[in-house]
Amino acid sequence: MMQLSELTRRSLLGNVYSALGGISLMHLFSGGLSGAENSWQAGRGQTHHPAKAKRVLQIMCPGAASHLDLWEHKPSLEKYHGAPLPGEEGFVSFQGKNGNLMKSPWPFVAAGESGKHISSMLPHMAQHVDDIAFVHSMHSKTNTHGPGCVFMNTGHPTEGFPSAGAWLGYALGSDNENLPTYVAITDIRGEPPNGKANWTNGFLPARHQAIMMSGQQPIRNLAQPISISKAEEDASRKLLNRLNQNFADTNPAESDLQARVAAYQLAARMQLSAPEVSDLSRESAETHKLYGTDDENQLKAAYARNCLLARRLLERNVRYVSLFCASRASGVDGLLNWDAHKTLKADYERHCPIFDQPTAALLTDLKRSGLLEDTLILWTTEFGRMPTHQADTAGRDHNPDGFTCWMMGAGVKGGVSYGATDEFGRRAEVNPTTVWDFYATVLHVLGFDHESLTWYHNGLDRRLTDVHGQVIKDLLS
Amino acid sequence: MKNLFFPIVLLSLALSGFSAEVDFAKDVAPIFQQHCVRCHTASNAKGDISLTTFAHLRENKYVVGGDPDGSYLIELVTASSAQPPAMPKESKPLSDEEVTTLRRWIAEGAIWPDDLTIREQSKADKTWWAYQPIQTERFTDWISAHESDIKGRDPTIDHFIRAKLAEHKLDLNPPADRRTLIRRATYDLIGLPPTPAEVAAFVSDLDPKAYDKLIDRLLDSPQYGEHWGRHWLDVVRFGESIGYERNVIVDDIWPFRDYVIRSINEDKPFDQFIREHIAGDVLHEDAPDVAVGSAFLVAGPYDDVGNQDAVQAAQIRANTLDEIIRATSEAFLGSTLGCARCHDHKFDPITQEDYYGLYATFSGIRHGSVPLATSQQREARAAKLAPLNERKEQLQQSLSDLEAAILKRAQDKLAEYERNWTHEPVDRTGTEDHFEPVIAKFVRLVCEAQDNNPNSATGFGIDEFEVWSAGDNGKNVALERHGARATGQSRSIEDFPGAYGPQLAIDGKTGARFLATGPDLTIELAEPTLVNRVVFSSARNESTADQGKFTFVAEYRIEVSGDGETWQVVSSSSKRKPIPRPELVNHRLLRLETTAEDVAEEKRLKRELAAVNRDIAQVPGLPSVWIGRRVEADAKGPFHVFLGGSPQKKGDEILPASLSVFGVAGSPNYVEEALPKPIAGAPAKSSPTQGEGALDEFCYQLTADAPESERRLAFANWLVHGDNPLTPRVLANRLWHYHFGTGIVDTPSDFGYMGGRPSHPELLDFLALQLKNNGWRIKALHRLIMLSDTYRQSSAYREEAAHMDGDSRFLWRFPPRRLSAEEVRDTMLVVAGQLKSAERTVEPSAAFARERARQPDGGPGFRLYHFMQDNVCTYVPLDKHGPETYRRAVYHQNARASVVDLMTEFDQPDCTFSAPKRAATTTPLQALTMLNHSFTLDMAASMAERLRKEAGEDPSAQIRFAFQLCYSRQPSDGEISDCQRLIHEHNLTALCRVLLNTSELIYLQ
Repeated sequence: MMQLSELTRRSLLGNVYSALGGISLMHLFSGGLSGAENSWQAGRGQTHHPAKAKRVLQIMCPGAASHLDLWEHKPSLEKYHGAPLPGEEGFVSFQGKNGNLMKSPWPFVAAGESGKHISSMLPHMAQHVDDIAFVHSMHSKTNTHGPGCVFMNTGHPTEGFPSAGAWLGYALGSDNENLPTYVAITDIRGEPPNGKANWTNGFLPARHQAIMMSGQQPIRNLAQPISISKAEEDASRKLLNRLNQNFADTNPAESDLQARVAAYQLAARMQLSAPEVSDLSRESAETHKLYGTDDENQLKAAYARNCLLARRLLERNVRYVSLFCASRASGVDGLLNWDAHKTLKADYERHCPIFDQPTAALLTDLKRSGLLEDTLILWTTEFGRMPTHQADTAGRDHNPDGFTCWMMGAGVKGGVSYGATDEFGRRAEVNPTTVWDFYATVLHVLGFDHESLTWYHNGLDRRLTDVHGQVIKDLLS
Repeated sequence: MKNLFFPIVLLSLALSGFSAEVDFAKDVAPIFQQHCVRCHTASNAKGDISLTTFAHLRENKYVVGGDPDGSYLIELVTASSAQPPAMPKESKPLSDEEVTTLRRWIAEGAIWPDDLTIREQSKADKTWWAYQPIQTERFTDWISAHESDIKGRDPTIDHFIRAKLAEHKLDLNPPADRRTLIRRATYDLIGLPPTPAEVAAFVSDLDPKAYDKLIDRLLDSPQYGEHWGRHWLDVVRFGESIGYERNVIVDDIWPFRDYVIRSINEDKPFDQFIREHIAGDVLHEDAPDVAVGSAFLVAGPYDDVGNQDAVQAAQIRANTLDEIIRATSEAFLGSTLGCARCHDHKFDPITQEDYYGLYATFSGIRHGSVPLATSQQREARAAKLAPLNERKEQLQQSLSDLEAAILKRAQDKLAEYERNWTHEPVDRTGTEDHFEPVIAKFVRLVCEAQDNNPNSATGFGIDEFEVWSAGDNGKNVALERHGARATGQSRSIEDFPGAYGPQLAIDGKTGARFLATGPDLTIELAEPTLVNRVVFSSARNESTADQGKFTFVAEYRIEVSGDGETWQVVSSSSKRKPIPRPELVNHRLLRLETTAEDVAEEKRLKRELAAVNRDIAQVPGLPSVWIGRRVEADAKGPFHVFLGGSPQKKGDEILPASLSVFGVAGSPNYVEEALPKPIAGAPAKSSPTQGEGALDEFCYQLTADAPESERRLAFANWLVHGDNPLTPRVLANRLWHYHFGTGIVDTPSDFGYMGGRPSHPELLDFLALQLKNNGWRIKALHRLIMLSDTYRQSSAYREEAAHMDGDSRFLWRFPPRRLSAEEVRDTMLVVAGQLKSAERTVEPSAAFARERARQPDGGPGFRLYHFMQDNVCTYVPLDKHGPETYRRAVYHQNARASVVDLMTEFDQPDCTFSAPKRAATTTPLQALTMLNHSFTLDMAASMAERLRKEAGEDPSAQIRFAFQLCYSRQPSDGEISDCQRLIHEHNLTALCRVLLNTSELIYLQ
């Protein structure tokens, strides 16, 4: 049997994760897995088929960002403003009865060479429509924010399932020894509905959960305690390493003891790399201006810093970055997120300026740096909003039957609009698309067959796409 | 309609003799069953076609009797020149013979017997190993085959293990040394390290029964229940927040955790324990400490966000019951019943009817707290309250009489009052007051009544408050950008300061508003200014200003000040008409008409009322526990199968019943076999479920009108019935799993087709029988396992054995393991001498105070997170853990979807699902937390203090003692000198921090 000492430091570290994924080092070196070389194995950077994208940026606007007021133009709403929605007069949705049809408070304008109509509230995003593949025919299983958010992020409307980022981490393993594989950047206004369930490892091993960080909050426990001097820290780490290495050497069969020595070394490198990645002062003044990090709107400036942080993580090969713009349901609907039940106009005049420029800058930046060539960008929200106004209000209620998400970048076409809701935007009508179809497509671009990426849990080989999902071929470049 | 699994049909028809015509059941149905019904059933009707009965085929003219060419079905399954057949879509085409058979069947008239339904066959059927009775025969055969080893004695665990090893030419390791053994057994039973004194005593104990005594001592320790209770809490997905969007914390389900610990310490028979989980509230009247067991039903997550959409609301309710069904079937039956929600189980012989039978069983359960007390406690409380409530009603009546009298006087003078109301009522979209020019440094709005509730002067919103300077070029000097500053108590969100703050009233923008929690909003101007006008609003430019979110002032005054201390009123609402709503007009009239005499009388009455309310509050409430409500209206049938899992698509009506795989009511499958002899030394006791008469029959089906309580009771009794082979096997396997790290079945909550197969099937049945034979008490089983050679062998690695069996599934060595998250934290506390294990003092009247002596701790849990609530809840991990958290981790109030540093990183599962197994990962985040979190630093400091106190000032003595504490061993000379160097160059605390981070501390051999 090969002795552990024969391994190079590099290959050992490369095995830290895989060693713990149910395949022990001993197995690997004793030929216990012979014959498995040709088949795909999780956690080793292998894919099922050649991948177009190596990493993912998912921008999530929680609160059900209105497809009708941002992305999908419905001239009929202007024409029939104030008239009842045919066939669904007085329909009872999440919060109660609906009134008549309500046009968007702002005009839609044609943008780009494709002439795509998007809301005039998103002038910066308008610059990118020719690179975006809109999916206007999304529909969800639930009309409630919490289940909707976890459905959008885990493929299941009930809690406890792994998020898309966790699945990717499990499938590929890490591509950066010094940073986490999966990072969730929460908004300065707080966590999204259902909080950490949106980036959980679920039943996958704990290492697949996202690490939380943001422009406001560094990685927890990263900093060495200030009460400990550098000399003391160095001496302590040296002794610790010796004791742990001795213990591992005395028990050479227990691969996790060696992995533990490596994990402490990895932690030390993370302590060096992570502060560097969060240090936005290394960016040029021009870049800061592009994103709007010093905007007088503090919420916008904070989100802009998070966008910039996302780019710095992506360029260091963090595999999956979940970036949130807005947070949970507050005591006042629509204040902290896109949930504009009562006063759509005022609410979106607050949220759109926060979202627009920094997001557009991030896309511009990824494109000019070339990262977009192997990065897949997703824009998601949990469901849509009603074309009618909520009875006695100037807002829109939840609508799980039709909404918009989009993709951009590696592996997908630009300037396309796939699917559509009906004339009024009430229900997905042309090419209705599920969250599972969406992720089947995402996994396909990342090199995976969504039906083969599985993990056994309590009776079933579980998938990100549950038992559904079809790759949307029309979106693929 | 008959629902037949196909083999039964085949059997009956095979007897009917040969026929030249196509026989539907024999020839045609198998084709549909094999190729079609995976996607085309009533529950899962792809393309809106079901092939389980004839109805769809006939109605849609897919099949036209006598006309194969005109039947669309034939076209679908036949290949054309260019195209493969359209169906089956996801598998191989039908063979030519099969297509010919279909054509002949149609040509002969397409006869489909009315009472025949085709069902998809699951992969496993009722002959699956897990459904077979636990019988002595199964291992009497085994025993005779291994007679040369057993030699007429009773078989033991070691016989089974050695026999399997021998098949692979393997054998057990030699016994582990005593130091290893006491460490292993102590962690295994109580989850804590042995003390240095305990190790020393055991290592030098000459008594041949030393190890037996050790096991008995540990089983008798109250800490045993804390550790094994934690295992059980994993299995029953016990969590203390509701999950989902609101994720509200649950502060009154901890009595269930204490009940679990107490029951396990008492060695309560598990059949009883399980029955209490399902129906504890039904089993005994007046026994709150039994009823608390039924908190199991509602210990899982659920979505409590209200939903006005009836379709969605029904789906959420179905999800809630689904959670209870899954948790129940996985925990007790090792069966993934949840897979039969939308269609029959694809792998196991579980039908949708089985699933919805349980749906009916649990349909009366709603999450929530209920008072849990004896009838004596209830009556005593009611008796104390009755006179107080009577007095309270009298006082409230007097107050309302007084108010009516005042209003009556005011009505007579209404015209006189109205003459003074020269201005229009306040307006949410904009209210403007002019006043004589006055120099002001401060201007404030004082609310006297808000417009949604005139009895309150807080809770109003202001989206903008303008103060205009006098003169031709007047400007709004209240604006923040003009140097003004706003103050006022506001609603706040902890993690988003200023969300509703006073600054929003002077930012020049509407849309977001100041939400007052005090009665005023004060503007400090940049400099003393001559002002003469204010304009303020809560809903400026809003088209729906009536909304509750725009609550505004109804009665107010505007005051100015030069110094912020003495105030002058410059205008008020008194000159305005009241808002024309009765309660607001009355409020105004009351203010105007109330005399000093009235005020005195009102004061007197209110004082007395307050006193009565105080007395009422002092009557102690009944203990309230989260065991869920039982709602008869929800429990009322009839119940139906939900086709495809949708409550909107009701299928056949169902009745609460036992699982059909064991047969139907009235025809019990099994006759219980004679049990083998009990374990020596433990008296054989029959289970309390036996001999109660009503339980004789295993399978049951209740009528539609059976009460909710009866349904749960019947199911609870069925779970632990002597003929149920699943429950005892699953429980015995869980014990094995926790002792050896892997179960005999390595999927402890799935004994079905997708789960693992038993590595030692005879041993599993042997253990299950021993369990039943010992009256379902698990301490005897622990003893049996831990006294075996298999358990006592060393964990030494042998390469040639590993080559055969790398994971040691056959147990040629004891499998080493990393400590669990709870063990890691508890160990740090123990080593540092900080673990609090004092008994709590509990009010003698509390319903759960009995048996306190068996429980070293308990009561409300501690929190390693900061809890915030703003409509929804947020859990932020704490940077500092105070001494109040120095309790065993089992007492942590585990919230769902929260992350708590060490606990999360060492794989404590999120308690959203039942967690039959723990992962044991190694990550850099563990290293970061263990090195840098202040908890480690605090423990290191405490440990250093302890070493100085108990080992003196000599560094080598300190190091020796530290190694005893951490590893139960002496340090080597090299280790002593290495450690001494760190103490010498830095300090003892630094060494303690290092030791707390070592692998050896958290690794068990």
